[in-house]
Amino acid sequence: MQLTNGVISVDDHVQEHPNVWTERLSSARWGNRIPHVAKTPDGLERWFVDGEVLAPDRVATAAAAMPDRTREPQRWDEVPRVAYDPHERLKAMDADGVAYSVLYPTVAGVAGQTFGRTTDPDLELACVQAYNDWLIDEWAAVSERFVPQCIVPIAPIEATVAEIRRAVGRGHRGVVYPSVPMHLRTVPHLNNPEYDVIWSTCADLGVPLCLHAGASQRLQYPAHAGLSAELSAALGAATAPASTAIVLVNLLCSRILLRHPGLRVILAESALGWGSFLLEYADHQFEQDRVQDYELKPSEMFRRQCYLTGWFEPVAGHIKYLGAENILWSTEFPLATSTWPNSGRTIEHCFSGVPDHEQRQILWGNAAALYRIPEQTNTRERVP
Amino acid sequence: MTLQIKHGLISADSHVVLDRDAFTSRMSRPRWGDRIPYVVEVEAHGQAVHRWSVNGETPRGGMARGVCNCPAVMDDPLNNTYPQRWDEVPLDAYEPAHRLRALDRDGVDAEVLFPNDPVQGSFHAYGDPEFELACVQAHNDAVAAFREASERFVPLVVLPYLSDIAAITAEVERAARIGHRGIVMLAEPSLTSPAFKHLSDPYWDPLWATCQELELPVHFHASGGIGQKLSIPQWDGYAHDVFHSAFTIPTGHWPAQFIPNLIFSGLAGRFPALKWVFAETGIGSVNYVLDCCDHEWEKRHLWTSGVVERPSDTIRRQMYVNFWYEVAGIALRHQLGVNNIMWESDYPHTASTYPSSWKYVERTLVGVPDEERARLLYANALRVYRLN
Repeated sequence: MQLTNGVISVDDHVQEHPNVWTERLSSARWGNRIPHVAKTPDGLERWFVDGEVLAPDRVATAAAAMPDRTREPQRWDEVPRVAYDPHERLKAMDADGVAYSVLYPTVAGVAGQTFGRTTDPDLELACVQAYNDWLIDEWAAVSERFVPQCIVPIAPIEATVAEIRRAVGRGHRGVVYPSVPMHLRTVPHLNNPEYDVIWSTCADLGVPLCLHAGASQRLQYPAHAGLSAELSAALGAATAPASTAIVLVNLLCSRILLRHPGLRVILAESALGWGSFLLEYADHQFEQDRVQDYELKPSEMFRRQCYLTGWFEPVAGHIKYLGAENILWSTEFPLATSTWPNSGRTIEHCFSGVPDHEQRQILWGNAAALYRIPEQTNTRERVP
Repeated sequence: MTLQIKHGLISADSHVVLDRDAFTSRMSRPRWGDRIPYVVEVEAHGQAVHRWSVNGETPRGGMARGVCNCPAVMDDPLNNTYPQRWDEVPLDAYEPAHRLRALDRDGVDAEVLFPNDPVQGSFHAYGDPEFELACVQAHNDAVAAFREASERFVPLVVLPYLSDIAAITAEVERAARIGHRGIVMLAEPSLTSPAFKHLSDPYWDPLWATCQELELPVHFHASGGIGQKLSIPQWDGYAHDVFHSAFTIPTGHWPAQFIPNLIFSGLAGRFPALKWVFAETGIGSVNYVLDCCDHEWEKRHLWTSGVVERPSDTIRRQMYVNFWYEVAGIALRHQLGVNNIMWESDYPHTASTYPSSWKYVERTLVGVPDEERARLLYANALRVYRLN
């Protein structure tokens, strides 16, 4: 099938440039704790957050645009502009048939988890607000084809809610929340009623709660210490989506979805294939355990409020079990796993056997409803 | 010995139940005394009950709920009753002739025997390598006795993890000589104990080489011991019923974490004739694994990093998953391949389909052609375990 109207990619990542935080945080107050890029003794460059190196193997995530997808940039001058320059990004989207791109962070954590590890709540909030403001000022302002999403401080919860309101007021249209805050620092369990005000705020504001895969490495099978960087990265790319199963089970059992029927939860970079059986298993197990007082089965809660994200898997076999309304699509740009610049070919392969109306739903309709994106038009005519 | 197929169903994942004297009759009393695993009377909830004592310690966790994990044979349709005293344990659980009659009642030809109480897969938690080895050998001998009683029982080796690799391998060879047909392995030893090497560490290579040579598949059962580690912290807000669900449901995704490591670490590729079996995880997550591993392999040109073969080829050649009640995974079975799927009954645990296994089978395999059914239900297991 020909893609005439483009795709909404619900999960792409911005690479924050070296000045995002240095330009916005007070160096008098925070000094070296401000997220910044610095040279290491061996002449490479790395991000430092709160004085600690963030990622030991790279200064940016841009593999899909690098000459070799197994080699991330080691110095800023190597980083392809398309990773951090919104104008270049638009061209990359055009080349790939992507009409709209929903944005997730990189330095701030693929799942928004970086600043949750900061023990000083004032620093955490300052870093969060800097990212949220920067994304609006430097990406959203360039084009409405970028759908900005905010990150949040994980504690205190009043600060979480305040920042959601402030950020949505500035134009953010989704909330990126690290799915296991208890793994970042000592905070109450995600399922506790203290968090309800966060879920109800998202529901009231009509913005989806976005739980991106890989929020906690502690849910993922560890690599052998001696495994090469490229093989470790491949392992992580496989286990992060898989580990979403653990997050989803917790969500379904927690009753959060029952208490907040208006909440929409997007599981970004989740993949699809494990979901079909997991929902069946969940329903089966609730029956086996004679679970009482859940007015909906797990699969029904999922169908009402949750979304999985595909980008490389054939879809036809899973629609029956997941629901066409519950599947979203992404290009994962510029991660190594990205289907860019051949997303069109991937989509053709993955949607073989899928009726047109379901294809449009998965590639456009579901995301358009979640993010209030206007009716399909020919994007090539309307690029600002 | 050729196994006769009368019913057309083999359980690739059931659990042995050992008699109360399985260890006391085999381990040296002068050497081990009260440390030998045995059934002891203790008080629980104001009543005198029986529990297994191991290393002089009374049980923790799941073993605290009864003297035997065999709810499927307790005449409780909810499969929620555990015997509190040894005389309540049905012979159908632990006496070979009775157990064979139970198999016939359920229409099952043979069963692969995973461990059960008091082993939970290993004795390493007691921290004593010699004690562990003695218990492991007694256990492996006790399960081999089932096979002596009938070829319809297919034992699996439990390993002495605290021993050095030569001793571990020697025990596997010994157990194979007395009838064992595969090994049970921790899914990621380094998560179970910091003293244990990562699964793909060269330390374990002699074990894989031995298993490959002796045609003993390596089995991971459910989370293989890492479910408590790779988990969202336990929440104290659950009611008892949903607590069990929350704990159990993630079991369905573990192959999606295990298999990428076997592929990208190069371990599976280094032993191309070694089989890996994933029990009690269901088959549904494997569709994701096949697509994902190939996708990452292609995008990252991993054939230049040592993963020479396309992952889905490796998986189809060497890996097996078990199902028991699922429909979605069966509908999508051709992606993995009908040759790589086996059925399980999980007898006599709470999830078991006993004594209505055929009811579940018929429901799950609606629309599956007879020739495929034969492979799924018994022919693959015959081949994997060399039963004829």
